[in-house]
Amino acid sequence: MANPLTNYKKTAMKQVININFHGQVVPIEVTAFELLKNYTESLSRYFANEEGKEEIINDIESRIGELFQERLKKGSTCITDEDVNAIIKSMGRPEELDELEEVGSNKSSSNESSTASDTTSPLSGNTKRLFRNENDKLIGGVCGGVANYFGIDTILVRIIFVVIAFTGAGLLAYLILWIALPSSASEVIGASRKKLFRDPDEKIIAGVCSGIGNYFGISAWIPRALFLIPFLSIMSRITHWEFLFFNPFGFSFSPGSLFLYIILWLVIPQANNTSEKLEMKGEKVDLYSIKNSVVGEMKDLQQRAEKFNKEEKSLIEEKGKVVGAEATSLLKKSSRSLGDIIVLLVKAFAYFIIGCFAFSLVIALFAFAIFSFGIFPLKDFLLTDGWQNIFAWGTLVLFIAVPVIGVITWIIRRLAKIKSNRSVLRFTFIGLWLLGLACFISLLSGVVRDFRSTNNLYEQEIYLPNPLVNKLELTSQTLQNKYYRNKFFHLSPFENIGLEDDTLFIKNIEIKILKSKNDSFRVTMVKLANGRNRRVADTIANLINFNLLQKDSVLQLDKGIGITQKNKFRNQGVIITVYVPVGKRIKIDRSLNWNNTTLHFDNSADDDWGILLNDNEERGWRQNVEYIMNPDGLYTLDGEPADDRKTGGKKKFKIDGKGVYLDENGNKISIDVNGVEIIEGNDLNKEMDLSKKRIDSIRVKIEMDKMRRRDSLEKAKKEIQQQLEKIAFYKTVPEILGGYLMRPYYLLISID
Amino acid sequence: MNIENTASQMRKGVLEFCILSIIKQGEAYPSDIIEKMKSANLNILEGTLYPLLTRLKNAEFLTYRWIESNSGPPRKYFSLTEKGADFYKELETTWNELANAVKELSNAEQAHTEEQGSKEDQNFPENPTD
Repeated sequence: MANPLTNYKKTAMKQVININFHGQVVPIEVTAFELLKNYTESLSRYFANEEGKEEIINDIESRIGELFQERLKKGSTCITDEDVNAIIKSMGRPEELDELEEVGSNKSSSNESSTASDTTSPLSGNTKRLFRNENDKLIGGVCGGVANYFGIDTILVRIIFVVIAFTGAGLLAYLILWIALPSSASEVIGASRKKLFRDPDEKIIAGVCSGIGNYFGISAWIPRALFLIPFLSIMSRITHWEFLFFNPFGFSFSPGSLFLYIILWLVIPQANNTSEKLEMKGEKVDLYSIKNSVVGEMKDLQQRAEKFNKEEKSLIEEKGKVVGAEATSLLKKSSRSLGDIIVLLVKAFAYFIIGCFAFSLVIALFAFAIFSFGIFPLKDFLLTDGWQNIFAWGTLVLFIAVPVIGVITWIIRRLAKIKSNRSVLRFTFIGLWLLGLACFISLLSGVVRDFRSTNNLYEQEIYLPNPLVNKLELTSQTLQNKYYRNKFFHLSPFENIGLEDDTLFIKNIEIKILKSKNDSFRVTMVKLANGRNRRVADTIANLINFNLLQKDSVLQLDKGIGITQKNKFRNQGVIITVYVPVGKRIKIDRSLNWNNTTLHFDNSADDDWGILLNDNEERGWRQNVEYIMNPDGLYTLDGEPADDRKTGGKKKFKIDGKGVYLDENGNKISIDVNGVEIIEGNDLNKEMDLSKKRIDSIRVKIEMDKMRRRDSLEKAKKEIQQQLEKIAFYKTVPEILGGYLMRPYYLLISID
Repeated sequence: MNIENTASQMRKGVLEFCILSIIKQGEAYPSDIIEKMKSANLNILEGTLYPLLTRLKNAEFLTYRWIESNSGPPRKYFSLTEKGADFYKELETTWNELANAVKELSNAEQAHTEEQGSKEDQNFPENPTD
């Protein structure tokens, strides 16, 4: 067979005639026709004495006709000399017909790997080479080509590939082979060089996928699906899901495929004129092919226009999102009465609402799926083995994964314009989902049952080696060693909780401060836990391992309660009560950070936490502030009580030589020679830095002068108070609002 | 005499039997038959097959019917007639006898070279081979 390269070089014009060959019109080169005529005549002579020779010759010619049709269908525009010669070779010249072919691949072309198939006889090639088999292909013909090369059945190769594909490498290997191996179509006679173009006729965004499809000889929706898959890759691996917290509806976009698409868009040229389009599809570029393709294009356009109209109608009959088209088309059709138009608008609006609703449902479903996939590894900390585990798996797979898969399948079907509304598939999906729902409900009920009871409470004494220190500072043994590992496995959302290997540390610690009855410090601990019943809860409570270590005046607490897969999470918590003797000091360190107590919920029906609320409990103290225990409670070192409410308005207003001091609703305002200072803000902003605002005004100074006089003291006080209230009000209102705005956000990101 | 000629003569002999075996499994058209033979490592030119099929059909061992196809002219699908089935059975018997005979002879030949002086091989030439 002639080298395809040389064939391409000789694209000089040859005369092509159309013959009627067994009822089919076949364009064929003149020289090729000569060859054909010679062959049939030789056959005729050979079978001259054969009985039924007409029939034989008829059969043979019919077979040749079939082969011609195949050539033409593959994209050849006419039959060439090489075609005819190859066909003759395969049929057998009369001289050869006395002998049979040799077995094996040594001599002949019969074991050619490239074109072996059900319908074509081997036409090309000498030695066995590894091609992709265009005739025996499911996706890209890779398995067919490999099977042919090794001489084994295609199905076996496919099975092997599927098995390898599970390891991940197989998919990559398939893709590489797909790209690397030349298509057997290029071996087929008449195919000219194929170039990679973008297809402007068959494009959804930019024709990249269509062009790729044309080049490889596959349907365009396959590369489209491949481009979409990375977007959904989060399902398989749990890598970065931190920003789930910031954007609950976000996907983990892998932008790689998007970049690839854009690069391809820019790099691959678009096939604009007809010759380029032919080159894209791999047809030989000459006058005939150009004419054919132009004619074909026009027909195509027509068909597509009709198809478009039909499809539009069908789309709208379903949950149409493309409502405007219907509106315009119906309006355009004929003049309708006003009532019809109104009905139409209402329908359009309804469809729109439904569409939005469905869309948001889908988004929520995906977000929920991502969330549950991400949180799945933690299930062992919560669920007991056995049924609960099974239910969890069932829930994940059936309740969550099935609808996701269903939706994805539906989307892909829509994209690929596959119309297969098999209700069996739908019922299967729905059935599986219902099963998943049952699993979910049983899972939930199982978990709730495990938290039903609380334990018996008793106060446990903590041994202090040195109870007579002057000061006790409570700190937490925070994560000393922060190993910064490879970012991809950095589960940062759990840093607050302190996930270390197999242990989860939760900070369900509440600290109470009380006055000691004697002059020693005393620390007690109460353990809390939930369980299926009282006894179980007691056991679990006993298993809580929470240690306190005193080092002189520092009391170091464990960073949290360790939850392992053996000690599962059952709302464990501890209450540490520190009894401070009078005259001694105490400070709760910021490192305890127990404002972030996570994973704790109060069962209000059985609220044992509330039982321990002493009336004597010191309230209102803040972290990182040192307090001293006075006979009537905790006070800061400046002499302020920790509990604001204690003062009850006593200390609201103070005048001394330095100036006026007002304390109203948690706002502390001081007026002195320098002006008015608002020292502190509202309760909600305890954590914020103190903001000082200086309001200098001469009027205030005059007021201050007034104030110094005893008689007008009261009046001045009232005036200033009112003015300052206004200022404070204007300051605190946005703070209040800000506080409220922050609260729900705060709730979102810490599982409060 | 070279090996190619002898080999092809051997194959020629069994060709009918093979073709009939294929058609016996089910209706088949010529390309199909060639494909199956190729997968069994027995290659045949189409130019050889068609005359053979026609002969068999003329002998009324095969019958055919036309089936329209999308990709080209209608195709002939051959199937076995009753007469053909009988003929096939005879061929099968013949083949089995032949195969056994050949097997014995070639094994005997090996046996002879191994244990020299066996008297058995003197009997074999007298065995009737069909």
